[in-house]
Amino acid sequence: MKHTLTISALALMAAGAAQAQELRFMCYQDGVECEAWADAFATFEAENDGITVIVDEVPYAAIIESLPVQLEVGEGPDLARVTDYGGLARFLLDVRPHVSDAASIDARYGQSLAWSRVGDNAADGIYHIVDQLTATGGFANATLFEQAGVDMPGPGATWDEWAEASRAVRDATGVDFAMAIDRTGHRFAAPAISYGAALFDDDGHALVIDDGFRAFSEQFVGWHADETMARDVWAGAGGGTYQDAAGEFINANLVMYYSGSWQIGRFDRDIGDAFDWVATGGICGPAACTGMPGGAGIVGFNHTQHPEAVAKVMEFIARDDVQAQVLARTRNLPANANLQAEGIAYEGVSDDVAAALTAFASSVPGFSDTAFALQGYQFNRAVYTTIPARITQAIVGELSLDEALERLEQDVADAIAAAQ
Amino acid sequence: MIGAVRLIYEGAFNLFEGPMRWLQRSLGTQRMVWVFLLPNLLIFGLFTYLPILLNAWYAGTSGDRILLGDRPWVGAANFATLLDCESYLNPNSCRRDLFWRAVHNTGWFVVLQVGFMVLLSLIAALILNRNIPLKGFFRAVFFYPVLLSPVVVALIWKWILQRNGVLNAGLDWAGMGTVNWLLDPNWAFFWIVFVSIWANMGFYVLILLAGLQAIPSDVYEAAEMDGTPAWRRLFRITLPLLTPTLLVVMVLSLIRAVQAFDEIYVLTGGGPGSATLLLIQYIYDVGFATRPRQFGLAAAASLMMAGVLMVLTLAQLAATRKRGEDG
Amino acid sequence: MARVELRGIVKDYGAVRAIHGIDLEIEDGAFCVFVGPSGCGKSTLLRMIAGLEEISGGDLMIGGERVNDLRAAERGLAMVFQTYALYPHMSVRQNLAFGLENMRMPKDQVAARVAEAARMLKLEPYLDRRPRALSGGQRQRVAIGRAVVREPRVFLFDEPLSNLDAELRVAMRAEIAGLHRRIGNTMIYVTHDQVEAMTMADQIVVLRDGRIEQVGAPIALYNRPANTFVAGFIGSPRMNFLTCTVTARDAEGVTLADVHGRVLRAMVDARTLAEGDTVELGVRPEHLHPDPDGYPVEIENVEQLGGESYLYGRTPDGTALTAHLSGQTGLRRGARAHLAIRPDLAHVFRADGSALPRLRLGELEAAGPGGPVAG
Ligand SMILES: Nc1ncnc2c1ncn2[C@@H]1O[C@H](COP(=O)(O)OP(=O)(O)OP(=O)(O)O)[C@@H](O)[C@H]1O
Ligand SMILES: [Mg+2]
Repeated sequence: MKHTLTISALALMAAGAAQAQELRFMCYQDGVECEAWADAFATFEAENDGITVIVDEVPYAAIIESLPVQLEVGEGPDLARVTDYGGLARFLLDVRPHVSDAASIDARYGQSLAWSRVGDNAADGIYHIVDQLTATGGFANATLFEQAGVDMPGPGATWDEWAEASRAVRDATGVDFAMAIDRTGHRFAAPAISYGAALFDDDGHALVIDDGFRAFSEQFVGWHADETMARDVWAGAGGGTYQDAAGEFINANLVMYYSGSWQIGRFDRDIGDAFDWVATGGICGPAACTGMPGGAGIVGFNHTQHPEAVAKVMEFIARDDVQAQVLARTRNLPANANLQAEGIAYEGVSDDVAAALTAFASSVPGFSDTAFALQGYQFNRAVYTTIPARITQAIVGELSLDEALERLEQDVADAIAAAQ
Repeated sequence: MIGAVRLIYEGAFNLFEGPMRWLQRSLGTQRMVWVFLLPNLLIFGLFTYLPILLNAWYAGTSGDRILLGDRPWVGAANFATLLDCESYLNPNSCRRDLFWRAVHNTGWFVVLQVGFMVLLSLIAALILNRNIPLKGFFRAVFFYPVLLSPVVVALIWKWILQRNGVLNAGLDWAGMGTVNWLLDPNWAFFWIVFVSIWANMGFYVLILLAGLQAIPSDVYEAAEMDGTPAWRRLFRITLPLLTPTLLVVMVLSLIRAVQAFDEIYVLTGGGPGSATLLLIQYIYDVGFATRPRQFGLAAAASLMMAGVLMVLTLAQLAATRKRGEDG
Repeated sequence: MARVELRGIVKDYGAVRAIHGIDLEIEDGAFCVFVGPSGCGKSTLLRMIAGLEEISGGDLMIGGERVNDLRAAERGLAMVFQTYALYPHMSVRQNLAFGLENMRMPKDQVAARVAEAARMLKLEPYLDRRPRALSGGQRQRVAIGRAVVREPRVFLFDEPLSNLDAELRVAMRAEIAGLHRRIGNTMIYVTHDQVEAMTMADQIVVLRDGRIEQVGAPIALYNRPANTFVAGFIGSPRMNFLTCTVTARDAEGVTLADVHGRVLRAMVDARTLAEGDTVELGVRPEHLHPDPDGYPVEIENVEQLGGESYLYGRTPDGTALTAHLSGQTGLRRGARAHLAIRPDLAHVFRADGSALPRLRLGELEAAGPGGPVAG
C-alpha cells in the first residue's frame, strides 16, 4: 500500500517535471555576462513553452573548485559557464544528436569546438559554445612612448624589438618596469610558440622541451636578469600561483604589458583619460606571431534529466543574432566565424576600447594551430601551472635553466600519469 | 524574560533527569560512562577519525578522481616517489624535489621561528612582568596581532615590505638604499620567520606571563633576603620554576610552526621560486592548486607530516602531565 | 648581633598611611615580639626592617648604622616566612646553601655550615629531598635553617608557626626559644598568638592601627597595661570592664560606685581623678573569686576543664563578666553567683582609656601560700 503510494507520487512528480522543464544554469561573470544571458533567456522561454532556465550567478572560484566536485558525485546544474573544458570533458553532454542543424554550428564555431573533443569524447561532438573568446596579447602605454620620444613598434614587431623599445621608454621616463607577462603558463606559451616551440610530440602529448621552448625560456630568464621584465610578477610568488601586473600598467608604471583581451574592460574603467593605451596585436618570434586563444563557454552536463531541453538552449546560445546581441553588451570577442567576419556593434564603447577589440579580434586568425591545440589539450592546466613554478626557480637561481626545464618536463609527465 | 529562560532550562534538566536515572539504574554506574561519552565519540569519529582513515586510504591511490571507487590502488607508490632521493640533504637529487625543498624549508623555519620566538617571548614576558610604566599598553601591543586573521597579518606586512612599501619608503627617506624584500630568497625567508613570530608571539608571551605570575612572590622575597644577584635569580629561580611552562610553549609553538601556512602563503606564495615553500603549502599545491589534482600524493605527504606532529603532540602531552605533577 | 633602632618610621601606601611614626629600641640579643590585631601593621613593620618594603620616612638603625638605603641582604638580616617560601625546585641542601653560594663562600665552608644547621635542626635525613616531600614542621625547620646558616645579625620571623597544628606549634615554639638561647642573636618575631608572645618574648610591642600602644616585658604588660586596649589584648580570656563613678579618693586608692551604687575599691594612684568622674574598672577573669558579699552575677555558661573552670555571666545591668577559677565548681547555668574583686588586683582606666598607676600588685602575692586575701 505504502509502496504504491510512493510510486504514484514519484510518477506524478515526473509527469509534472516533463510538462515544466526547469534547467539550472551555474554562471560566473567577468563583466555582465550572466545578466546578459538571463535577459536573453526571456526570449528563449517565450519561444520554447515549458522550459525555464534559472541563472545562478556564482564566483569564478565556485566554478573552479566546487563544480567539479559536484559533478564527480553526480550532482550539479544542467548547464554552466566554464573555462576548463579539458578537465570537465567527461561530464559534458554532446548535444549533436539533439540539435536541428549541427553542421551550421560546426561551420561557425569549428576551431573552438575542438577544445572539449578530448579523452573519450566524440571527435565530432558539440559540447560547448564559446560566448567569450579571449586572446592573449600586449598592451602598450602610448603616452609613455610619446613622452620618451621612442617610436612604438608596429604590427608584426618582434619580442626583441618590443623589449628594446620598452627599455628605452623606461629609461627615458623613469618608470619602474619595461615589460611584464602574467605569471601563468597560458601567457608564457604564446611567445614560446612564436619562438618555435612545438609543445606536443607526434602522438599529441605535451610537454616537449625543444629548441624553441628552450630559446624563449632562456630569453625570458635573461630578461629577468637584465631587468627588462618586472621581477615582482614571476619572482614574487611561488608554485603555480597566478599573478598579474595590471595594477602596475594602470598606474603607468609599466611600459608594455602582455596579458589578454579580458583586460580591456578593466583598463577602460580604471585608466580612463589618465593616458593613452593601445593593444599591440600579435607579437612575433622567429617562428610565428601567435597569441593564445582561450575563452569561457557554456556547456551542458550529461547527467541532466532533460538533454533535449539543454540542446535547445545550446542551439539558442549559438545563434548569430543572440550572440551578436549578448556580445555587444558584454564587449567580448566572438568565437563565431560569421560574427568575426561581420564585426560586432559594441554598445557605447570608447575609441580606445573599440580599437583594442578590433586589434585582438583581427589577431586571432593569425594564431598558430599549436596554440589552439594547447588550449584544447586535456591536461593544459598541468602545463599552465607547472611552467611558472619551474621557470621561476630558474629566474631566482634555485635551479639552472637546464635543470628547471628537465623538471618541468618531468612534472607535466608525472601529473598526466597521475591523472590516468 | 529571564524567568522564562530559566524555566525552560530547568525544565530541560527535569526532562532528562528521569530517563537518566532509569538508565543509570539499569546499566550501572560503570556502563553509564559510555552513555555520556557516546555523543562525543560519534562526533569525533565522524569528523576526526573517519577523515584520518579516508586520508590513509587516499594515500594509497592515484588519479584525479574524487570518489574512492574511481581511484586505482597503487599501494605505497606515493610514499615511494616522495621518498625517492639520492641524498635527502640535496632536494635536487630527489624525484619530488619540491617536497624536499618544503621539508628543508620547514625544518629551518621551525628551528628559527621556534627558537627566536621562545627567546623573544621569554624576554618580553620577563620585561612585562616587571612594574614598568604603561604595562597594560605594552601587553596589549604584544597580544593584538594574535587577534588578527593570518590573511590580514600577511596583507599588512605585504603593504610594509613590497617594493613601494612603507619600509622602503622609510629607508628611502632616511637616505639608505631600498631592498625588494620579498624578491630576495634570503630576505623573504627572514621575513616569513619574522612575520610569523610577530603574529604568534603575543599568545606565548601571555602563557609565559601567566607562568611567571604563578611563581609565588615569597620565593622572590626569600631570594632577596638571600642576597641573590639579578642574573642568578633569573637562572636559578625564575627559569627553573618557569621550565614546565616553557616546555609547553616550546612544544605548542613547534607544532604550530610545522603547520605554518596561511600568513606565509598570502605573504610570499612560497616564493621567490620555492624559497619559502613550506610543507602545508606543498600539500595544498599538489592536492588542490595544480591540475590535475594529485590527491594521493597530497594525502601521502600529509600522513608523513601527521607522523611528525604525532610525535610532537605526545611530547607535549608528556610535558603537560609533568607540569601537572609539579604544580 | 646588633641593636635595632627605629626612629619615626613611617609607611605610606599612596595616600594611605599604614605606619604612623614608630619609635622603638630593640636591645642586642633581645627577643622582641610584635603583637596586635590583624591589619595593625606588624608585617609591614617587619618587612620594612627586612628591606622588602621601602621605608617612607624615618631612620632604621641596625648596629648603630643607618640602613634605610641598603638592600635586604646587605643589612645582615635573615627572615623566616609564614609560608616558608622554600625554593620548590631545590633540595633541602640546596635551599640551605643557596644564600651562602650567593656570597661566593668557598664550597667546604658552605658544606660545613649546612651540615651544622642540619644537625642542629635535625634535618640530616631530609637533605636530599625536595620541600614538596616534607611535612609542615620539617619545612618550617628548613626555613629556619636557611636563616641560621647565614649567621645573620638579626633574625626576623613573620608568624612562622601559624600554619602548624597546635602540638607542633608548641614543639617549634620551644625549638625557636632554644635556638635563641643557644645563639643569642637579636630576634624580631611577629605573631598574634598571645601565648607565643608571652612565653618567648623579652620585649613585647603592642601595635594598633600602625601605632605603638605599649612596649615592655610580658609580665609588665600583664601587670601594668597602659590602656584599655593593651589590657584587653594581653591576657586570656579578656579583662572584664565595669563602668563606674568615682565617689571618694584617698592615699590607698579610690572608692567607686557602679551603676547600681554598689561600692568597689581599687588600689590605684587617683590623684588625677576628681569625684564624679566616670572610669572603667578592669579586672582579669582569673582575679575574680566567689564571695557571698561579692558582685551578683547571673551565670549563662560554664566550662569545666577539670583542673580549672570558666564562668560566663552577666551583671544585673547586663555587662558581660568572665571568671576563671582554679579547680572545679558546683555552679550551673542559670544559677546566681557572687564574685568579689580584690582592690589590689583591680585596674582603673580614665574615660580616654589610659590607665592609672597601680599602687600594689596583688598578682605578686596571689600565688603565695596564704591564698586569696579578702578585700
Ligand atoms: N601593598 C599595600 N597597599 C596598601 N595597603 C597595604 C599594603 N600592604 C598592607 N597594607 C595595609 O597596611 C596595613 C598593615 O598591613 P599588615 O600586613 O602589616 O598587617 P598585619 O599586622 O601583618 O596583619 P595580619 O596579622 O593580618 O598579618 C593594613 O591595613 C593593610 O591593609
Ligand atoms: Mg601579617
